[in-house]
Amino acid sequence: MRYIKLPSENFERFFKSLEAWGSVYAPVKRGGIYSFQKVHDPAEIALDYNRTMLPPKKFFFRPRDTVLRMKNGRWEENLEVEPMVLFGLHSCDIHGLKILDKVYLDEPADPYYRTRREKTVIVGISCMPDEYCFCKSLGTHFAMDGFDLFLHELPDGWLVRIGSVRGHEIAWENGELFEEVTDEDLANFKEFEEKRAKAFQKELPQEGLADMLDLAYNSPVWKKYAEICLACGNCNMVCPTCRCYEVCDRWVDAYSAVRERRYDSCFMENHGLVAGNYNFRPTRLDRFRHRYYCKSYFDPSSGYNCVGCGRCDEFCPAKIEHVKVLEEVRGSLR
Amino acid sequence: MSENPYQTYDARILEVKDLTSREKLFTLRFVDSKIEDKFDFRPGQFVIVDIRGFGEFPISICSSPTRKGYFQLCIRKVGRMTKFIHRMKEGDVVGIRGPYGNGFPMEKMEGSNLILVAGGLGMAPLRSVLWYAIDTGKYENVWLLYGTKAYEDILFRDEIIHLLKHGEAMNCSVKLAYEVESPSCIYLEQGFSDKVCKGVVTDLFRGEEFDVNNTYALICGPPVMYKFVIRELLDRKLSPGRIYMTLERRMRCGVGKCGHCVVGTSVSMKYICQDGPVFTYWDALSTRGLI
Repeated sequence: MRYIKLPSENFERFFKSLEAWGSVYAPVKRGGIYSFQKVHDPAEIALDYNRTMLPPKKFFFRPRDTVLRMKNGRWEENLEVEPMVLFGLHSCDIHGLKILDKVYLDEPADPYYRTRREKTVIVGISCMPDEYCFCKSLGTHFAMDGFDLFLHELPDGWLVRIGSVRGHEIAWENGELFEEVTDEDLANFKEFEEKRAKAFQKELPQEGLADMLDLAYNSPVWKKYAEICLACGNCNMVCPTCRCYEVCDRWVDAYSAVRERRYDSCFMENHGLVAGNYNFRPTRLDRFRHRYYCKSYFDPSSGYNCVGCGRCDEFCPAKIEHVKVLEEVRGSLR
Repeated sequence: MSENPYQTYDARILEVKDLTSREKLFTLRFVDSKIEDKFDFRPGQFVIVDIRGFGEFPISICSSPTRKGYFQLCIRKVGRMTKFIHRMKEGDVVGIRGPYGNGFPMEKMEGSNLILVAGGLGMAPLRSVLWYAIDTGKYENVWLLYGTKAYEDILFRDEIIHLLKHGEAMNCSVKLAYEVESPSCIYLEQGFSDKVCKGVVTDLFRGEEFDVNNTYALICGPPVMYKFVIRELLDRKLSPGRIYMTLERRMRCGVGKCGHCVVGTSVSMKYICQDGPVFTYWDALSTRGLI
């Protein structure tokens, strides 16, 4: 890892320089909600945002995506991709993308996801947790890789971590904008991280979590929450690691059709349906529990399928809290 | 092959045969001979059938890989897509991608006895194993225990009756259980009194002896069947590692992305399409929701 410093006065020029790498998308505030939008002027960006509603997965795994297009009765792939710069990703979202990478880049790789991923520059930014964040307990509060550049806030600028060859190239081409990091900068960086570590209000004790949940399969807590849950699937849509999709062919006109995929949700009744109307997860309880098991599945190589971003809590219309459910389930075992 | 795993390849329907009032047997071959030459599969694997502009659906291959130049799919008319393919005729073209899944470990089982336990449409993937075993001759004895609703529902009836008559010569013993009585069934029962009976598939285990150290059981049928068949096998001290079963979920992508076939809990999650569709009973014991 190489560390350099971007002084505050050079921020605007640095930001403008990113346009050479593709369309720049950054968090902006619209209504009461933050979202990643195309940005030209750094003044539009909400640098101190907490979380966007849709995570950055929407750029790679799109809410609605044309995979194949029919030409003369044959499918042709639809692989036009614009180069992009995603500016201002929080470390939890970078971890979220790494989990999606594991699924979508695993052989056979999804060509749409892969091409978009290859053509995208990721610039991370440091953040302060709010009442929903619990990334620290899952170890996703700091990104060691998965980005090209990562900007950490300093009193007079940004400490920049370079995480890839492309990150090096960006820094190289704008060499005059950066300075060497001083001991004072490092002290400030350390102080910021310490302050941040103390700011977390929510914690998910992960000791034995996966086993504990498995043992608590019949816990009455699942039932209690399944009754509160509206089964709207919002938590799936906003989750940075949820990736279920449904496929559908759609006729554009009498001669051409497209094969589209769309976000799907395991809260929908037809998610576990097979031929002959047999449903493997017929009740809301089954579906509710399935989501928690899926999120809490521990893969030794990529960790949990949850990064603690807090979106599912913030955007749940029934105000169900992920950590609280898991803690109650744990409590019901005692 | 293209790098796009969602691209399908033209396959021509060579023959359509009515098996029952609900099931048809489609014999297919890839139009492109290069694709046809490359296409190889294991018994128990499945393909995704693509009717362009209407959708895709997964179907297990029911022919044996020992029979070259074509492959067969047994398709029951149950929904929109299968209704669509049931209207198709010889010469029509569909898209195919695959094969997907792990299939049965045929090499590992060489030299052993195989007990194939099929219920209803579960006969389709097991037919691939059956003919593979007969064609290669690499297995000691093959039992096929087949449970069906009525005489009219017996899939591959000609083949089943042929094996009832001449199976012994091929080291293959077929037994049949039916639930609904009919003149045809009674006739069959009279002809093969030790092999055909009224009842359910587990009734066919009665009187059968097998060496548990040299036998594998392969099961496929409706979800309700597994519990009873597995109990029967475990009672006879067959190791859970020797019980294989092939399972069904709503496979959309077939390549472990779309998430529809995921089962399990926080300690063990499996993709039916990639980790399966063939699992052992050990897998079922360690993965909740598998059966």
